[in-house]
Amino acid sequence: MIEFFLSLLSVTFAVTFVRSTVPLLLTALGGLYSERSGVVNIALDGLIIFGALAGAVITKQLDAPLGAAAPWAGWLGGMLVGGFVAWIHAVLSIRYRADQVISGTAINLLATGVPPVVLTAIYNTSNESPAVEHALPLWGVGDFKFSPPVYFAVLMVLLTWYVIYRTPYGLRLRASGEHPGAASSMGVNVRRIRYSAVILSGVLAGTAGVFLSIGNLDAYVRNISAGAGFIALAALIFGQWKPLGVFAATLLFGFLQALSIKLGGGNLLPDTLVQALPYMITVLALIFTGRSRAPRAVGKPLD
Amino acid sequence: MLDSVPPAPAQPSLVAARLSLIFAVVALAGLFVFPYGTLSRNSDAQALLQRFPAGVINFTGAAFENQPSVASALAVGWATLAALILTVMAALRRSPWLWIAALLTLIVGVAGIILFNGSLGAATAELVAQGVRPRRIPWQSGGVHLGLFLPALAGLVGTFAGLSRYPAWWERLNRLRSLLVPVVAIALAIAVGAVVVLVVQPAPNALNRALSLGELFSGKLDVVWYVYTTLFAPISNLGGLFDSLKLATPLIFTGLGVAFAFRAGLFNIGGPGQLTLGGIFAMLVGIYVPLPAALLIPATVIAAAFGGALWGAIPGLLKARFGSSEVINTIMLNYIASAIFIFLLGANSFPFFGKTFGLPFKAGGSEAKSLEFPESARLSRISELLSFSRGGETLFSLGPVLALLTFAALYFGLRRVRARLWIALGAGLIVGAATWRTVGVPVTGTFGASLLNTSFLIALAGAVLVGVLLWRTATGYALRAVGLSPAAAEYGGISVGKNTILAMTLSGALMGLASTHYTIGGALDEYRLKTNMPVNVGFDGIAVALMGQNTPAGVVAAAVLFGTVDTGGVTVDRVLDKVNKDIVTVLKALIVLFIAAGGFLSRRVTDAPPPELEKAAGHGASSPPPTTPPSTPLPNLGAHLNTQSLKADDGEDIGAKEDSSQGGKS
Repeated sequence: MIEFFLSLLSVTFAVTFVRSTVPLLLTALGGLYSERSGVVNIALDGLIIFGALAGAVITKQLDAPLGAAAPWAGWLGGMLVGGFVAWIHAVLSIRYRADQVISGTAINLLATGVPPVVLTAIYNTSNESPAVEHALPLWGVGDFKFSPPVYFAVLMVLLTWYVIYRTPYGLRLRASGEHPGAASSMGVNVRRIRYSAVILSGVLAGTAGVFLSIGNLDAYVRNISAGAGFIALAALIFGQWKPLGVFAATLLFGFLQALSIKLGGGNLLPDTLVQALPYMITVLALIFTGRSRAPRAVGKPLD
Repeated sequence: MLDSVPPAPAQPSLVAARLSLIFAVVALAGLFVFPYGTLSRNSDAQALLQRFPAGVINFTGAAFENQPSVASALAVGWATLAALILTVMAALRRSPWLWIAALLTLIVGVAGIILFNGSLGAATAELVAQGVRPRRIPWQSGGVHLGLFLPALAGLVGTFAGLSRYPAWWERLNRLRSLLVPVVAIALAIAVGAVVVLVVQPAPNALNRALSLGELFSGKLDVVWYVYTTLFAPISNLGGLFDSLKLATPLIFTGLGVAFAFRAGLFNIGGPGQLTLGGIFAMLVGIYVPLPAALLIPATVIAAAFGGALWGAIPGLLKARFGSSEVINTIMLNYIASAIFIFLLGANSFPFFGKTFGLPFKAGGSEAKSLEFPESARLSRISELLSFSRGGETLFSLGPVLALLTFAALYFGLRRVRARLWIALGAGLIVGAATWRTVGVPVTGTFGASLLNTSFLIALAGAVLVGVLLWRTATGYALRAVGLSPAAAEYGGISVGKNTILAMTLSGALMGLASTHYTIGGALDEYRLKTNMPVNVGFDGIAVALMGQNTPAGVVAAAVLFGTVDTGGVTVDRVLDKVNKDIVTVLKALIVLFIAAGGFLSRRVTDAPPPELEKAAGHGASSPPPTTPPSTPLPNLGAHLNTQSLKADDGEDIGAKEDSSQGGKS
């Protein structure tokens, strides 16, 4: 028992902790932009998968000509693809006033169908892409080495806080989500704000996917997100749609994920149930959040 | 855009004329540009294509002697050409006789199809007479191609578009308006899917040389045509139909589950988890409770429903009590259910704080699977129920077909009799029972091996029950009221919380029932609970429910359609090396996407015009009220924003009508 708790203070655990937190953090920050602007983004999980797939495939294809620069191109590609798919969600929910939950679900369904089709077409395999030669580099000191998206994520927390609370864009974004009618009467182009916010959420979720595929691993594997998009959504709610709150919430969920990885393989609890721990905690966290203060106009199309 | 006002009787409306024009022009061009028919196709999808007016393209690399003479079909092609030109002219001038020209096109087009298939059939028969084994006859794999198909389609579209100028036909077509969004969504999904196939799959050919541009064009078109005809082909033969219905059965359950929750304004993405729990409970009762056969099957079915209901009730309760989103909770519960499943069936023991405890559920072997269900818990195969032997010959019973025909004849024949539903139902049952083991046709093919089982009938019964519950009872009224407007329902004395829990529980029960298909139905070859149970049908249920407009009859129809495409997808996957069977998943996702967008159609098109507008408008020129929002936002926007984010679809009253008219059919 005591050994187990001591092992939680070790460097390897800290590294696992950071690695499980970063995808959640990036995705939740993406969701924050989208939802604060008034667009429910349940497509986050699908966006992660699209980002991961694009990152791995582009890196693999450019491995030979670009060498060590290939993963950076892959990252860029993952961001662009994530942004593009999010743009589809934006068009449906903003321009065609689609039900945003259904539209997001459609993107998630696409994310289960498109990867096998793409992988079969390019590599004749349906479950995973071949390993890339150059994954994203690891930066850091000693055993604390992480790929660049980790530092990017930390930077994004501060940047998001600044953008949301200290820039005109942030003010307009919040206004679009709280009271789009009032915002547009003051000359804010609510639709444009929402488009930009949803695309931004795709870019961030795509980055999370890139981190999973060529930051953590060196290939895309089936079901790579493992529901991270939905957990991030829960963290977004748990963090009350505030950048620092979301940061704290993702730290909690990341810790639980790392814990479940750590507990796995031991003889304390059955592995299978331990792996379900983050999901159970998510359900519990949502109970304690209760009827939270969501952006008032979230999910409602602007007439 | 389609005008929602009735067109002037003098000529077809502008939209009708344009629609027929587009279809006719494409068919006209296609006659010369697209392949006319497929003479033969080998197992690698390489084809021998017939062109119009003459010539063949051979991608197979093999030489064919004695190609069947399709001269008659080619000759009819010229008649089709004439009819198409006539249609184009009529459409351009919006002539009143557009429908006659189009009908002519349809008749000539269908005649061409029949003649072409007839020629292939004759060539096949000739070879059979010579003693060639049926598998070796190349002409059996032939059939129509775009060149033959498009004129018939253009004729069909033009006929109805032309007829729409008569008020009676306009009324009839108007009643089908609710089908518009699903149909357009399918069409768009097919178009996008076609682009995907075009990009990923090179034209299948055995010619060891670069294709010329013309060949490349035909080959690429051919591969798209091949993919879609294969996807929809299973419904055309008995074995394929049974396989399609087998894959449709779980989709009916999950589609009903999603639709039921939708009607109450809830989004249940928890199908996979609820299905898993249903399977686990079915296992616990079916394998471990000693009951006689007469009780064991119902008990197991109820247990499956209970397991799903339990897993559905949790998010319902959390939503009602704590206001937490059912969308996220159902997804989390999917992961938890899958963990419980692996926990119970993955190993025979588990560690708990250093000690090891045993688990009795896993059967031997490396795969996670339960023990076998006893014989007394198994559902029977439909192929066994429907086949009987007489004089050493296996016959396929026509009982159900005759019963259905009797029912339909009486139900629609006795319009004035009050108790027609019951009379028709009774007569149908009597006819069915009398002919079940007596009237039959000999069958060839593989339907006897089909794994379709009586859980299909449970699914149909579930559809009827959902229809009755939602539209014929006070409980259903309350559920739908909550779905349409929770605030209004609450004000009217309906408890939103209670109905939320009820809706999620029943929705979960329907999802749980889907597991009977895989466990005691033996749809996965074995009567066990296994890890390869395709729980993702829970997600497919979303597409099914949306396609079916959240009505029971619609869900059944959509499920059968998806079951067919799933069956065809396996063939496509096997034959083409670059197309994965997940192309079907992509198609389903695209259908959801396009339905969510309302098929990119304007509200004016998808919603029936209000009656006063129809009366007031004499002709198409009167301007309907603008429904597209003005580009500059108005100050009183807030008033419009007060809509529920997840309201039931707009087909509410249509659904009610549909149910009353087709209640007995589903």
